[in-house]
Amino acid sequence: MSTKNIELIANPPAPHFVGDGFRVHNFIPSGFRMDMERMSPFILLDYNSKFHFPASDKPKGVGVHPHRGFETVTIAYKGKVAHHDSSGDGGVIGEGDVQWMTAASGVLHKEYHEEEFSKKGGDFQMVQLWVNLPAKDKMSQPKYQAISKDKMGIYKMPDGGGNIEVIAGNYKDVQGPASTFTPLHMSNARLNKGAKAEYSFPAEYNTGALVIEGSINVNGQEVAKTDDFVLFENAGESFTIEAMDNAVVLIISGEPIREPIAAQGPFVMNTKQEILQAINDFNMGKFGYLED
Amino acid sequence: MATYPNFTQYLIEKFDLSESNVYLIHELIKEKYISSEGFLLKPGEICKHTFFVESGLLRLYSLSENGKEHIIQFAAENWLLSDRDSVFFREPSKFYIEAIENSLLIPLDEYLIKKIEELSSNFRKNNEILLHNHIRHLNQRINLLLSASAKIRYLEFIKLYPDLQFRVPQWMVASYLGITPESLSRVRRDLANKS
Repeated sequence: MSTKNIELIANPPAPHFVGDGFRVHNFIPSGFRMDMERMSPFILLDYNSKFHFPASDKPKGVGVHPHRGFETVTIAYKGKVAHHDSSGDGGVIGEGDVQWMTAASGVLHKEYHEEEFSKKGGDFQMVQLWVNLPAKDKMSQPKYQAISKDKMGIYKMPDGGGNIEVIAGNYKDVQGPASTFTPLHMSNARLNKGAKAEYSFPAEYNTGALVIEGSINVNGQEVAKTDDFVLFENAGESFTIEAMDNAVVLIISGEPIREPIAAQGPFVMNTKQEILQAINDFNMGKFGYLED
Repeated sequence: MATYPNFTQYLIEKFDLSESNVYLIHELIKEKYISSEGFLLKPGEICKHTFFVESGLLRLYSLSENGKEHIIQFAAENWLLSDRDSVFFREPSKFYIEAIENSLLIPLDEYLIKKIEELSSNFRKNNEILLHNHIRHLNQRINLLLSASAKIRYLEFIKLYPDLQFRVPQWMVASYLGITPESLSRVRRDLANKS
């Protein structure tokens, strides 16, 4: 197996607010060389780097909005998010939890800082990924996977080097709990200083690493700092990550879905016609109803 | 040089300009960026030009005495936005123009319009069509506000602005429709229940 080299290390782009509750750096699809096709099946990566929200009686967040054609994966590192949707589902994503929502044929949902968190204020740090669906599954039934911290697959690093928490796919022989529509791997490496994790993914899988905390040395060659995103080449299979200090790193790698992408706002389909249909269905109430 | 794809398309389609003439126009453009929540116009100011929205989204509105906002028009990509009477009669405006999203605008100042007029064989005719189209919209809007149910107003709104609802908060849609956010909720809920 050959080494998967770094294609580029992206510093976090200037942040913008999504609603009033998420201050995010958008790495995918607006980042340099990280458009939807290049990063498929990961078609959006918004990263709320650690940010202190002051106490607020009115929870901040994003009001009712639709999604169709993909999955949203929300990973909470700090702070808590409450969510509700048009099917009547809802819940709280706590620190260390992951919510994997398959929007598929369409949901309306809203996401706010959880009430108690909002009242106290505090550090908030989240990732939201959009994972594309293949054409055949875009109009399937919406569903949720609430993956709490205690359900993650845990690989223990030797010599007390930390843990790899597997969300989806696998790390070595440890499986993650999330079911996915196409082959992909997603995990958090929580490494103590000096620990070194080895990864191996097929060459063609689109692969990246987001440094949530600390800094890492990749392949013994280059250092990525907190909040940097490391994009790997579509060549070679194996790479290593060594924690320069205690580090948390999100690793994503997935088989690209080689289908046309038509995207507008909260809809990601295969054709322009399907986008117009989604807009019309949303306007005509076919995504259901949810109180703002 | 910026290419202004939307404005280019507009010049070609509406004013029949050749590609080389479009470039002559490009050279005269004094583009204007405005960040979200920034103002292009406030009451008391004279609106200097009509603006073509190359990208982004803005709204034209007035505030009533009690501070309530009444949205007259949204303008997203490819829309023209202006307080036309303030421009034409050089009178102080009664309106605000505020950006909802970061926006790139092309001010259609006198010089630019003159140049388009020079280069376009059908400028007068098409400019007149655009003006009458605008008047037709306004008339339809007055009529809907005076006579139509909330549901009909909503259905007309989504025809005119199909993709606006996931770009603006619901209270803005309600303000544009001249109904309360609660009535808008009711209309949307009734439609959802029927579908």
